[in-house]
Amino acid sequence: MATFLLRRLLWMIGTIWVVFTITFFLMRSVPGGPFDREKKIPDQIKRNIEAYYKLDRPLSEQYFYALRRLLFGDPSSRSQGARYWPDFGPSYRIEDFSVNEILAQGFPVSASLGIFALVFALALGTTAGVVSAIRRYSAEDVVLRFMATAGIAVPNFVLASLAILTFVFTIPLFPAAGWGTLKQILLPAVCLSLPFAGYISRLTRTGMMEVLSLDYIRTAHAKGLPERRVVLRHALRGALLPVVSFLGPAAVGVLTGSLVLEKIFNLPGMGSHFVEAATQRDYPLAMGAVLVYTFLLFVMNTLVDASYGLIDPRVKMSQQ
Amino acid sequence: MYELARKAFPFVVIVCGLAALAWAVSFGTLPPADFSFANGDEVRTLDPAKASGQPEHRVLNALFEGLLRQLPVDAPPDQNGNVPLEAVPGMAETMEISPDGKTYTFKIRSSAVWSNGDPVTAYDFAFSWHRTLHPETASEYAYQLFYLVNGEKYNSGKLDEGDRIEIELRDRRDERQAFPRGTILRGILASIVQPPKPTVDPQASKEDKARAESDWKRSWAYVVDVKPTVNSQVAWDAPGELRAFAVESKTKTAKYEFNQSTREIPIESCLWLLLDFDSQVGVKAVDDRTLVATLKNSTPFFNELAAYYTLFPVHRATVEKFGAPNWTKAENIVTNGPFRLKFRRFRDRIRLEKNPSYWDASNIHLNVVDVMAVKFETTQLNMFMTGQIDWATTMPRSVIPELQKLAEYHAAPQLSTYFYRLNVARPPLNDVRIRRALNMAIDKQQLCEHVMRAGEVPARSLVPPGLKGYQSAQGDPYDPEEARRLLADAGFPNGRGLPRLEILYNTMDAHRTIAEVVQQNWKTNLGVNVELRNLEWGVYLDSQNKKDYQICRAGWIGDYPDPNTFLDMWVTDGGQNNTNWSNPTYDKLIADAAAELNPEKRMNIFHQAEALLMSEVPIIPFYFYVHPNLVNQRVEGFTTNIQDVHQLHVLRLRPDVKAQSNR
Repeated sequence: MATFLLRRLLWMIGTIWVVFTITFFLMRSVPGGPFDREKKIPDQIKRNIEAYYKLDRPLSEQYFYALRRLLFGDPSSRSQGARYWPDFGPSYRIEDFSVNEILAQGFPVSASLGIFALVFALALGTTAGVVSAIRRYSAEDVVLRFMATAGIAVPNFVLASLAILTFVFTIPLFPAAGWGTLKQILLPAVCLSLPFAGYISRLTRTGMMEVLSLDYIRTAHAKGLPERRVVLRHALRGALLPVVSFLGPAAVGVLTGSLVLEKIFNLPGMGSHFVEAATQRDYPLAMGAVLVYTFLLFVMNTLVDASYGLIDPRVKMSQQ
Repeated sequence: MYELARKAFPFVVIVCGLAALAWAVSFGTLPPADFSFANGDEVRTLDPAKASGQPEHRVLNALFEGLLRQLPVDAPPDQNGNVPLEAVPGMAETMEISPDGKTYTFKIRSSAVWSNGDPVTAYDFAFSWHRTLHPETASEYAYQLFYLVNGEKYNSGKLDEGDRIEIELRDRRDERQAFPRGTILRGILASIVQPPKPTVDPQASKEDKARAESDWKRSWAYVVDVKPTVNSQVAWDAPGELRAFAVESKTKTAKYEFNQSTREIPIESCLWLLLDFDSQVGVKAVDDRTLVATLKNSTPFFNELAAYYTLFPVHRATVEKFGAPNWTKAENIVTNGPFRLKFRRFRDRIRLEKNPSYWDASNIHLNVVDVMAVKFETTQLNMFMTGQIDWATTMPRSVIPELQKLAEYHAAPQLSTYFYRLNVARPPLNDVRIRRALNMAIDKQQLCEHVMRAGEVPARSLVPPGLKGYQSAQGDPYDPEEARRLLADAGFPNGRGLPRLEILYNTMDAHRTIAEVVQQNWKTNLGVNVELRNLEWGVYLDSQNKKDYQICRAGWIGDYPDPNTFLDMWVTDGGQNNTNWSNPTYDKLIADAAAELNPEKRMNIFHQAEALLMSEVPIIPFYFYVHPNLVNQRVEGFTTNIQDVHQLHVLRLRPDVKAQSNR
């Protein structure tokens, strides 16, 4: 296990470095800069701004400065965010905040939305999958499978629009947008979770059906155990293995899927910062968001892989 | 161990879920605000010297106050629904203008205080304007202060021999902060010693050449006759000491020729060499309550500029203590406006609270205001319809015809014009007959009525109507017959032989629709074929600046209610011109208008200039913008005006209508 984690850590450092380099040069290869305006700034003023942000230095110098700042921080930096590591620098477009401060405010929102969505997806998906598997080929099964497919096929912003029409205007239950109260989380979290609930229910159904046909389940039935005990205590754990492996990509999907939802429901999460940074050419903020996403996804996938060894005794970590 | 892990797994998941729930809810239920509105994008900064943009404008007007403030006049709306704005006393109780229009004397009112209790003084304004003009602040709107004597020269850092200059030494308390400044020496510039100019590779890019030039300028040595300070005043006439300074010199000494002898003066390193602000730039705090501004030319709209946020004061001690940008944080900021900053949640909301120490606090009727950062139009509309916000500043264009029927809809033509730029250096657009023909072949009335549908007014001039004392000069009307005749005259009857034209616009549905209509018009009326090309905003701006286009879409919002803001950009090589159009008569007219004292004559000169512009057609005006607002019926005091300025502290809520609980 230890060697496994160590190897993963080294891979992560390498991946982050590669992502950093590619993002750095790719961002700057696009025409247009962070200080372009329709009302052109007089040349002298533009040069002052560029000097302030070190944009007038050659590209390689900027690259090494950014890398150095990321690794070691910049003690002479002006903003408070510099006290924390890693230091992503000041935001080019939001002058009052450093990238660290922006991400620190946005991350909890996206994270709680994401976790909420995943938990809901797990709960809904596994229940639907188990019911589907037990009552296979019945009417309930068909309906649940249809809904799962619909959840996967319909984009989450279409679901969001339908949800807003139904639950905000037709039956005024929820507020239209914003963040802060429980009511305001429910609608976006549910819209975000539905596609994953769909996937999870199908995976659970398949896994469950496989497990239910195994010998040890037949033994349990033969022993006379009630249905519920057989399913929940014996079959479920085995059936959940494909679901666990799906959690990695699900975390990815939840993080990236929230971009549009954050715009529709006006949630101050990382997704909206990321999109705005890209369109506004806010290089440090975009870089910060990319690196945070990379780190998160890497960690999620590593956790999922590590959890195999813990959940499934058939998998040995040394084989990884 | 594995057994334990397997058993624990579902519990871990449940605990995570509950933790997320608690975390999400921990944002806390805020007490509702009296009044909330959607402000569009998140405010870039709360620092008046560095801000630009409409969302910033609204918040800064609430947090700070300048010498004057723009308020709607107590008069009925005009035929467009607009109420005129005027600049009324704010921090300044009185304003006196000298007969030649170049000297403004402001008296700060004694009841003006900062939110921490300090009185607002004229020194605050002098400091703030100095800070805005200082090149290190890198203020985008510093050009608003270029009307002051030597304002532009100070900001550009240009120096001439014989100037009185200030030198900032490298002993700042914090090197990254422009204020508080290091030791300042003052003296008269004796000579600029330029090392030989480095040869630049002609193949190098424009940026590399500019950087090389910049680096060379930083190596120049300045020989200064540094004057002593006597009784905290600089003795300019006393004998001084010759010293040399450079920002980044490559040599150790500077050669200075003086009275037939040459001296080698050791070069000292410094941070800045600028014109001496206190004695040379046209703003001075005579005493605590008197501020005198000296302008280059009589500038009739200077009082509107004094009400603009770039000229707002900032609290010096706070800025110097915390530095930029930390001084703008809610726990540090000190303001002088009708509202105080309670807290700021990034991309969520800015909460403002009534400022009890504001000089006119008794007339503020709102206690808590939420400024929501909502960018997406549909979300704004949803929030407005469900009562979460009381004022929506934007809405989906497609729904506007429906919304116009509501009593909550307020819109009126703005001081902004939508137009196309024509690159007159690229044939066939270099022929004025072709440009006129293109203009006359577009049915702008139809465009406004059937495509835009929000009440936009078709434009035959660049300057929108509604400016006091000014009649816009009208260009050619919609006349397809005449257009065809002109085109044939130019050698392309029925469009035959005309090279293909291209319209460039930034990616947005509205612009595409308009371009398609124009394409249709030109095909039907003139037989001319055009291609359409769209680019993302940043890339599009780049192309426009590089003049890499034939016809491109543009919009312009007036900074202040005076024709100058629309007309002064079209001078030869004007920074915003971008059309390659140049006309010396036009340049002279604009310069004459700047120097003209008589307001009537001045407006006449502008009229002539605009007439010239319209006859040469380097631009095709389309329509004057309408800015739609949706305002809840429980809000009183909301009036439309040509600059879409809505001061928060004049709004009142009807006591009989309760706010919705859904906020």
